[in-house]
Amino acid sequence: MSQQSGKLGIREYVSIAILMVGMKPTGDLPTALYSMVQGAGWMIPLISAGIFFIPLFLLVKTMMLYQNQNLFSIIQKLLGKYIGSIVCLIIFIISSSIISIDTRTYTNIIRTFYFTTTPNVIIYSILMLVCAYGAKKGIQHIGSAAYLVVYYAVLSLTIALILSFQDSNIQGIFPFWGPGKLEILKSASKNLYIFLDFFLFAMLIPYFQSTKDFRKGTWVAYICVCIQISAAVLVFISLFDTSLSGIGYPFHIEIRYISLGSYLPNVEIFFFVIWIMGAFIRFTAFLYINVQMFCHIFKIKDYEYLIPALATLYLLIGSISETPFDVSLIIKPIITNIVGPSFTLISIILWLTAWLKGEFKHANNKEMV
Amino acid sequence: MQTTRKWYKAFWLLAIVCLLTGCWDREELEDKAYVIGLGLDRSQHEGKIIVTMLLANPEVGSMQGGGGSTEKPREIISFNANDFIAAKGTANAIISRKISYDLLKIIVVSEDFAKEKDFIAMISDVLKDKEIRLNSYLAVSKEKAKVYFKKNHPKMETRPHKYFQYMVEHGVDNGLIPDSTLFRFFTAYERGTDLFLAMNTSAEVGKNPNVKGEDEYQAGQVGATGELDDTQFIGAAVFKKGVMIGKLTGQETRIVNILDDTTNIKDVLIDIPDPFSGEKKQFAARIMKTEDNKVKMNLKGLKPEIFITVPVKIEIMSNPSMVDYTKKKNQQILKKQISKHIKKVNDDLFKKSQTQLKGVPFPLALYARKYFGTIPEYKKFNWDKSFLNADIKVNSDIEIVDFGKTTKKH
Repeated sequence: MSQQSGKLGIREYVSIAILMVGMKPTGDLPTALYSMVQGAGWMIPLISAGIFFIPLFLLVKTMMLYQNQNLFSIIQKLLGKYIGSIVCLIIFIISSSIISIDTRTYTNIIRTFYFTTTPNVIIYSILMLVCAYGAKKGIQHIGSAAYLVVYYAVLSLTIALILSFQDSNIQGIFPFWGPGKLEILKSASKNLYIFLDFFLFAMLIPYFQSTKDFRKGTWVAYICVCIQISAAVLVFISLFDTSLSGIGYPFHIEIRYISLGSYLPNVEIFFFVIWIMGAFIRFTAFLYINVQMFCHIFKIKDYEYLIPALATLYLLIGSISETPFDVSLIIKPIITNIVGPSFTLISIILWLTAWLKGEFKHANNKEMV
Repeated sequence: MQTTRKWYKAFWLLAIVCLLTGCWDREELEDKAYVIGLGLDRSQHEGKIIVTMLLANPEVGSMQGGGGSTEKPREIISFNANDFIAAKGTANAIISRKISYDLLKIIVVSEDFAKEKDFIAMISDVLKDKEIRLNSYLAVSKEKAKVYFKKNHPKMETRPHKYFQYMVEHGVDNGLIPDSTLFRFFTAYERGTDLFLAMNTSAEVGKNPNVKGEDEYQAGQVGATGELDDTQFIGAAVFKKGVMIGKLTGQETRIVNILDDTTNIKDVLIDIPDPFSGEKKQFAARIMKTEDNKVKMNLKGLKPEIFITVPVKIEIMSNPSMVDYTKKKNQQILKKQISKHIKKVNDDLFKKSQTQLKGVPFPLALYARKYFGTIPEYKKFNWDKSFLNADIKVNSDIEIVDFGKTTKKH
């Protein structure tokens, strides 16, 4: 294997993607989906993936035109300096608010279930500290770490789901269409944000060994992830049934409930350790991408010095809301409703501009020559 | 230079180890008192409850072979409190260690408290508490929970956590008590379409226990004598929307457990009226259920129809009339009898649940869901009402796997 130093291979990319997107059902995603469409919640990831496929396909196609250029440089190239910069800034702000909210959610989970008397700030700072340290190491290290952890993460999630399956009842997913087909379609379009990370991965293109790896990796990860999320939500629905709407973080309730026979009754710590490693890598990669965006917008060359500053900023933003309820019930729905449509729109506009400018023809001509 | 760097690194590594202990959530095993059983009663004072805590001594029985301490294996305290969460603090006035619900195994509620309307509000605190696991069991005791824990004196298994774990596990395996975890209680409560069964227990034996069939007892009715502990786990308390409304005997609980695919029954021994002696004697059989029930429904008409087929494997364990089981004809008679018996007990159970309990004691409504496309349609059907006049037919698919060790008459 010829591995260039400092570059991302396809397997590292897929691992990062699985950890960033595929681990979402271990947070509050299942509850959110259940309260929208009840038993049909498992369909939402699949349908959303279907809808999001179109903008993602167009984006990847546009990205393939330019070798080794990241998302922001292409946006600026296609939309002009001023409009491009504004669009980039919007994307940066949205993804910054998402990282703040998500890290806060994870802090809440850790505090609620595992470290009940530790102050929130301490847990939050440790989380951000680890992420900042990881991000400073660079994307190649993040990729290798992700590749090391991803098997354990997927395996532990699978084991947790299988163990709970004996207590669950598949009938819980019926009535099949939940509140009605139209309602499902509506909720699916609201939940496009599940896959928004794929949009952000386009920032990492210069770090790939080749741009083709990005295309291939995106589709492999996309399929894995949407199956994984859907399966996890399906299991949670059949396990908790109607009580899922009242449970904040079903994965953590579930791992406290399951047991490995009577000899090992309380096993949540195994799952927790692996889960938190996955969480660290998830936010490390997310932080790294955000730092890259910031550097690109404000033309900063040494990104390393920026990481602690941005991490602190996210910590402060995340600490604004007082209670966990504010985060997951009030702020999060607002952000998620904005994210899906705006990112879809940006992808389509990018492709349209490229098409109108005749970039695709140029590319074809180049190949002909 | 090299060695200084090495020492420098080693020093930092050691320094980091100190961080592992943490500051806030540091917990010493030595410093904790683990509550294994929690008893809840209504107090005489308005709006208060009596909380009983059964604390296990981790030192007893933990040492392999000999040694150990001479301390008592358990400690019990009861006091008035507003709820069982803040009671942890109050208990520290009496108990020297920090009270923890981490290893809570069983919550025992007295019958009269379970029948009150605000019971559900009290027990819902479980969901808020960060230590209680939802795989703890909920049990209903005939007497006050306070008295129950005091009277409960296992002779052999003195460590309370093991006692309750084994007692409940084997009771569930036998099918005599329902698998009533808190998890199942809250899912049933949230669903609202089915009744919940909590295990029935008692540490007081009734004065003149009647001798009944093998499993037709309720807790406290099994008349056992000898050198033993009086605690009994048999039968079930029925909860409707979080309030206790009635009781089931051990036999009825068994039938429900056989019908309910979400519980695991392993080894059910029952007596079936013997067909060869004109149903005067009974023969023993072992029921094994390896497959799920087949439930079919016809919910279109005015009167909903529900067909349940129970696949069971049966092992014949005794032969009171000394019949030759090798003959095909006798085998047929036997099969018919078992099928008739299962049909009869099930019909009785559904009759009781439709008239007395006004609800089905296991999640049958789940099977009805797939006959509806959307939730509004299902809601319109109104399971609670429709079930009451449903026509329920239970059939069994019997396979006799074994006729015992002997092939001849005896």
